[in-house]
Amino acid sequence: MTTTNTQQTDIENMLLWHQVNQFYNQEARALDEEDYATWFTMLAEDVHYWMPSRESLFRKDETPDETGNMNHYNESLPSLQLRVARLHSGAAWAEDPRTRYRHLVTNLEVELGDNEGEVKVRSNTLVYRNRLEREEYWLLAKREDVLRITDNSFKVAKRKITPDFSSLLSKNLNVFL
Amino acid sequence: MGNIEELKGMIDFKNGHIDRRIFWEDWIYQLELEKLFAKSWLFVAHESQVKNTGDFITTYMGQDNVIVTRHKDGAIHVFTNSCTHRGNRICFADRGTARQFTCNYHGWAFGTNGDLLGMHEEDHYKGHIDKSKNGLQNARVETYKGLVFACFDDEAPRLEEFLGDFRWYLDIILDQTEEGTEFLGGSIRNMYNANWKFGAENFIGDSLHVGWTHASGAKAVSMGHEVPEYMPVDPSSFHANANGHGWEGGIDGVGTLELVSSGNPRLVQYFEEQRQSMAKRLGDLRARKIYGSVISATVFPNFSFLPGINTMRTWLPKGPRQFELRAWTMVNKNMPDDIREIVQNACAMTFSPSGIFEMDDGENWENSTIANEGFVTRKQHLHYGLRVGTSRRDDPELPGNISRPMYSDVNQLAFYQRWIDFLTAESWDDIPKVR
Repeated sequence: MTTTNTQQTDIENMLLWHQVNQFYNQEARALDEEDYATWFTMLAEDVHYWMPSRESLFRKDETPDETGNMNHYNESLPSLQLRVARLHSGAAWAEDPRTRYRHLVTNLEVELGDNEGEVKVRSNTLVYRNRLEREEYWLLAKREDVLRITDNSFKVAKRKITPDFSSLLSKNLNVFL
Repeated sequence: MGNIEELKGMIDFKNGHIDRRIFWEDWIYQLELEKLFAKSWLFVAHESQVKNTGDFITTYMGQDNVIVTRHKDGAIHVFTNSCTHRGNRICFADRGTARQFTCNYHGWAFGTNGDLLGMHEEDHYKGHIDKSKNGLQNARVETYKGLVFACFDDEAPRLEEFLGDFRWYLDIILDQTEEGTEFLGGSIRNMYNANWKFGAENFIGDSLHVGWTHASGAKAVSMGHEVPEYMPVDPSSFHANANGHGWEGGIDGVGTLELVSSGNPRLVQYFEEQRQSMAKRLGDLRARKIYGSVISATVFPNFSFLPGINTMRTWLPKGPRQFELRAWTMVNKNMPDDIREIVQNACAMTFSPSGIFEMDDGENWENSTIANEGFVTRKQHLHYGLRVGTSRRDDPELPGNISRPMYSDVNQLAFYQRWIDFLTAESWDDIPKVR
């Protein structure tokens, strides 16, 4: 009986992990392809999309979170839509020819969330950008998400992106992570 | 290798032609480090970043890494971040609090005024060192209404004289309230493979790129409505420059505030209240007409800002073809928390590496730089001739050299005039006190 329950739980956890992984792969593809219409359907109406900046601090001066820092992103769904509207304005000269993007999402750790119908997910992401002849940029970051379970998938309700750079080693951040 | 005479010929102020080599050549860049960055006053910090004893930040003056710190006597010190023993860097943090800075290599310790305090196994040094002669090199430090500037040249005039008439413009952002200003926490930094002067000259006077480079951002903000004319084709809009510092903008009083507050009534109301108290300090022209317009400005050589958007930034050179942009958001100390958050978010949304306006600038600056790797391309001069020679110093309302409207290369050429002044001078005696 106990064994069966454990097995049952294991299978449920594996299924959940698989579903989250599938969701992230779909999201990565949407971002790779600049398919923001699809991406926005994967975000909750009240999404908080946050990427604080980081600095090099002595260990004694480190603070547990980055709320006092300036942000690369501190976004709601409408503000993300505003950013994408720039790209789709027909006047984003600097995005034509397009940047080649590749998003990899790995190291998924999935657990049940604090609220009913939510899961918490930690993941790592590696984003590659290649542009024109010689421009090549790599971005690595930790992502901490709260996903809301929907009928057949998820929606991102919260995302905190902790980048592994202090100075962004490129001219802009024309990408979502 | 070039020389000073060759350099003098690279900028034709009469016709508004600039030789592209000033954005490319290593020898010119080395001259910039020696004759400009080691001689000029440079913005290094805001006082609020080093509020208490031992608070420090690290930054660059030219390519010299420096520590800016508050000593126990209350004075702000700026000194080189390099041990006097073997030269290792002594502080690796971007900011923090320290009682002293101790070198990782042999444990030489320096005070928050740069003095050499002692070292690991100090007994061995008895009779072998005069510690008072082995401190870190201090720069001169002066502040202007919260902004901290430093200078490595003893011959340089006082900061107030260096800023000259430009103080009248700086006051528009620094002197709005009795309490003064402060920087929000942290900074945003990013790297450009471009010459640092492209950032400085863009902010000093490039009104014409706004409607074109930033058309995408403007269209996004309008969200399908007709694109508003953020840059008014207003004959009274102006370029103002003094001593190589420059300000360009309109006098409609609304362009930037509309952008920042877009649709937020709380913010519109706040700005109007702000303007009333500001008018008492600065007068109607500055508080009601100039402040709030679309404006950008550069303090020579490499400190720029956008009044209203509140981004303050330095273009830190890393070679002729690379610079780091460090940006902060400045607010009035009395600004309520909810307004601060809106202002900070607006700054990230518009002028930051991810910002819908700033994002398009880097592509231009990088490619304006890299194109000069072509030998033939590099030989073709660049056109900086728009409304050249139209500025007047006798404006009844505005101090400095004024040219109208703001669509011109007047400020850019004033910047390069100052740049040539510095690069061709033997000492401060050769640099005109007023430009």
